[in-house]
Amino acid sequence: MSLPQFRLLRPRTLDEAVGYLAKHTDKLRVLAGGTDLIPSMRQKLFEPEYVLDIRHVVELKGIQPRAGEGVSIGALTSLSTIEHSDFLRRHYPVLPEAAATVASPVLRNMGTLGGNICLDTRCLWYNQSLTWRKGCGFCIKKDGDLCHVAPGGSKCWAVFSGDTPPALLCLNAEVEIAGPSGLRRLPLREFYTGVGDAYRKLRPSELLTRVFLPEASVDYLGVYRKLRVRGSIDYPLAGVAVVLKRSNGHVSDARLAITAVNPAPLLVKGASEMLAGKVIDEALAEAVGDLAAKTAKPLTTSALTPEYRREMIRVFAKRAVLAANN
Amino acid sequence: MTDFTIIGKPTAMVDAAGKTTGAGKYADDLSLPGMLVGRILHSPFPHARIKRIDTSRAEKLDGVVAVVTGKDAPNPYGILPVGHDEHALATDKVRYVGDNVACVAAVDESTADKALELIDVEYEVLPAYFDPEDSMKAETELIHDNKPHNLEKDYHHVFGDPEKAFAEAAHVAEARFIANEVTHAAMEPHCTLASFEIDSLTGKPGRLTVWSSTQVPYYLQHKLSLVLEMQMSQIRVIKPLVGGGFGGKSEVIPLEIIAAVAARAARAPVKITYTREEVFWAHRGRPRTIIDLKTGVDKDGHITAVKARVVQDGGAYCSYGVVTILYSGALLGALYDIPNIQYDGYRVLTNKPVCGAMRGHGTVNVRFAFESQLDELALKLKMDSAEIRRRNLLKPPCITINGLRVQSYGLPECIDKVVERSGWKNRIGKLPKGRGLGIACSHYVSGAANSIIRSDMPHSTVNIKIDRDGGVVVYTGASDIGQGSDTMVAQIAAETLGCSMARVKVVAADTDLTPIDIGSYSSRVTFMNGNATLRAAQDVKKQIATAAARKMACAPEDLVFREDKVSKNHVGAGGLPALAEQGSPSPHQQSSVSGRVEGQILRGSLQQKRKDEGPKDQLTFEEAVVAAIDFHGALSGTGSYAPPAEARGGKHKGAGVGPSPAYSYSAQVAEVSVDEETGEVTVHKVWASHDCGRALNPVSVEGQIIGSVWMGMGQALTEEMVWKDGMLMNPGLLEYRSPSSVESPEIEAIIVESVDPEGPFGAKECSEGSLAATIPAIANAVYDAVGVRLHESPFTPERVLAALRAKKNAKTLNLTEGVDPTSPVRFREHGGSLWFRGKGPERHAQDPSRRESVVKAGGDD
Repeated sequence: MSLPQFRLLRPRTLDEAVGYLAKHTDKLRVLAGGTDLIPSMRQKLFEPEYVLDIRHVVELKGIQPRAGEGVSIGALTSLSTIEHSDFLRRHYPVLPEAAATVASPVLRNMGTLGGNICLDTRCLWYNQSLTWRKGCGFCIKKDGDLCHVAPGGSKCWAVFSGDTPPALLCLNAEVEIAGPSGLRRLPLREFYTGVGDAYRKLRPSELLTRVFLPEASVDYLGVYRKLRVRGSIDYPLAGVAVVLKRSNGHVSDARLAITAVNPAPLLVKGASEMLAGKVIDEALAEAVGDLAAKTAKPLTTSALTPEYRREMIRVFAKRAVLAANN
Repeated sequence: MTDFTIIGKPTAMVDAAGKTTGAGKYADDLSLPGMLVGRILHSPFPHARIKRIDTSRAEKLDGVVAVVTGKDAPNPYGILPVGHDEHALATDKVRYVGDNVACVAAVDESTADKALELIDVEYEVLPAYFDPEDSMKAETELIHDNKPHNLEKDYHHVFGDPEKAFAEAAHVAEARFIANEVTHAAMEPHCTLASFEIDSLTGKPGRLTVWSSTQVPYYLQHKLSLVLEMQMSQIRVIKPLVGGGFGGKSEVIPLEIIAAVAARAARAPVKITYTREEVFWAHRGRPRTIIDLKTGVDKDGHITAVKARVVQDGGAYCSYGVVTILYSGALLGALYDIPNIQYDGYRVLTNKPVCGAMRGHGTVNVRFAFESQLDELALKLKMDSAEIRRRNLLKPPCITINGLRVQSYGLPECIDKVVERSGWKNRIGKLPKGRGLGIACSHYVSGAANSIIRSDMPHSTVNIKIDRDGGVVVYTGASDIGQGSDTMVAQIAAETLGCSMARVKVVAADTDLTPIDIGSYSSRVTFMNGNATLRAAQDVKKQIATAAARKMACAPEDLVFREDKVSKNHVGAGGLPALAEQGSPSPHQQSSVSGRVEGQILRGSLQQKRKDEGPKDQLTFEEAVVAAIDFHGALSGTGSYAPPAEARGGKHKGAGVGPSPAYSYSAQVAEVSVDEETGEVTVHKVWASHDCGRALNPVSVEGQIIGSVWMGMGQALTEEMVWKDGMLMNPGLLEYRSPSSVESPEIEAIIVESVDPEGPFGAKECSEGSLAATIPAIANAVYDAVGVRLHESPFTPERVLAALRAKKNAKTLNLTEGVDPTSPVRFREHGGSLWFRGKGPERHAQDPSRRESVVKAGGDD
């Protein structure tokens, strides 16, 4: 499958990159690691006039701890850098754990944190070649008006399949976005729309530049659990991240987020309240699992059955809570 | 003779260096001046009549040289003489999503892709058939007009008196098993480069050369000649390095014909490389199969009768289908002693990509059912699973009830070995909850005794020539597809001639240079091409011996050829003083080829010196060769192999498939654990013993056993082609999940050598037979671990969990969308809907996708 023809733009600075974005806006796609964009372009899911290759914008790379203010992580920091960062392992362990489960070592060397946050939502009816999609009559997300996973509905249910965002949501991460009018910051939980087609609040002229983890999220116990058929390569079919802090054996604070079962990664509402002040035991963990399963709305976007994936959210949430507590 | 110098020693593959450094050339690495890129237009409809194709807009695009359609090559072809139902490009109908409609040859891929979008095709959609049991009910709008009820072929065999035997059995088990569809997933996607010599005066295309990723160069040459209406002698097929086939390249694949048709029209070389999606559409993999199986045993565990009804969902064309459905029945025999067999096999056409031959061809899915059911019967008898298998051994030499001749039979030793190594006796049934052991056996042919072309010609012929400096060139049609046949051929030639491997060069799989070999499939190459190589080498050796014996003043039969020397049989391999000066002769070092090291002049003087000394007790290989060339003129030999008449099977309809000159045997024990909350199965270790007759190259045999187990594990746990109304939902290696290195368990490969009386040095097959045992071994281990018996493969976590829940009568969770994996009734499709209230792709009113969707909307929130 050939790539569609495009013009390659290779900025060296953020200003230059933002300039290109302002100029070409929706005629352009951003390439960071390329592990998501390139296969999708071959499948003609995107046929942009320009590809903005930001890999040489060095200011967007690296992990910078900021005394008393948490840490700033450049959007172009590779997932393998996140995975192996001693600083993150020590202070924000849930993030490197989640990063280490993405795809395979080779893909983690290419893939970036920003790319994982911006990852296009996925669906078996969408991530297919142009010829294949002609065979299914297209779908709401691309070139069509029917949703094959929820026929009769008008909403796109393509599923968000990033591994790091649930961990980042648990850590109350914020994202920095650069655009024509400068920089803006947004809590990650407000970054996603909850629908599968226009899944993120990023204007065509904007670029996600940095991720901030607050000082307040330092040193939480954290665990990420991922349902996958293979131990490598696979996108999550369900994923659960949990962070918690204890004092005197009681949970003082906790958050739990799920991925790969909805069009957005979601913090599970009520989980923090359910855990706060409690001593974690099997029954409490199961209750949290039930709550998480209620938040999940898996459909036939992915392999394995929706009911099974919902059930695994329940099991994995329970296990993640117990594991984080150990 | 067991005192070998090369046979039986771990030997590096002769093509290993090129493959590891990247210097080796696969088809897609090749290019020719003026070469064009071909891209194929595929059907978006599962079943439709082509009313009109207009290629004019595509032809006008800059950079497009030719656009070809079905009318450019209308002759039908197919791998089986009874199955000539395919065309290079569709002539009247398309029969599956992905069927081939047109091909563009252009200056580059991107231009060709653009041109595909400019081809206008007008289709009339027809009702399509996706489920084989539904398809068998079809009366009208058949997939092929000459196949009523969309039935490609059915066979009904009765051997002995099964009904009586079932009536008398102490226990009878009966159940439906379902094995879902899998594909080969070879690393190398198919690629073909076709080039015609263009007559400079007339501009007309003349001779054709095709480089292709194929397991069967001679069949390709033959089918090209049919479709292109050229003499076979005008077509040269060359097989470059091939990156795996597993049966997926064992017949003529559409792109191979299409590339030639496009090259003829374009009057320029054309290369087509499939995308991975196209590889899935070309498919030819293992059909999803329904097996209704009934087995009876007496009170001592002897099998009294087996009855199997097998329905294979074959896809849109015949391919190897008639052979597949026959293997499924025939290879119920030849593993155990079964006195009564009834077999009803149905190969059904559906509007899906074409199934064909895949590693363990025809035997794998039935073996999964059989070995699972045998364990169920052992349980009823309270008998150990290994013991029930021992009770049912054949007593060779023998001919089975269905006409299969069995000679060498290493199954008893295979079972003993895996039982011993796995600690079976002390561990079975005693592992902690959630962990278990399972055992299963399998077998496979060492080549088919009757070739699919039904001719009396030899199945393999090999030529050898030897030059004055002792360089041996072996010309073999055997197609090395990574399994190591070039190395096997070199080993047999070197062992027979008593020369070093370094002297042997193998020229393989080039129809202009190498004599006919029918290809690399049905695990026939070591047995058949190996025997032909052995005979060719013996032919040359005899000629050398005649000449050498004259020089050495002895009888030819008194000579021993060994380690690059020809000696009278009382002389040891120590060598003459003159040779010792050159260092100790190592069979693997180029430096031992004395002529090249010492130079022509020195060699001449050495020979002169020896001549003066009168008759010797020993000659170097080179001296013996020179003597033979001086005596005979040219030094070349030939050998061929055809299976013996006694091995060719019975007389019943369909008796031609199943017979083999020899069968391989396997036994395996798998150790697994099952997570009872998630249904995930982890395979910790597999002990796999395989009777390969004799291991010519033990590392290669171990590699094949490990590969078979690994591939079987894929089918057992993760690999499954997922369908929805004729759409393949996972046509890529991301969503079609072959196991990664993370899931690969430790595999202890145990070689058993039964030394077959007819195999080359006693060798039999080792590349396919082990696969089939893995799936039931894992199934039986899952039962031992958690007490659930899955009758549907693969054992994905959702299916295992559903089975566990069903056993506990836990709250109903529709984990597997209504299909109980412990007693499946029919194939399950992917969820969702292709079509909803008039929306969706154009499909016929009676297409299954148009049934009103019952899927609930996700509920916009």
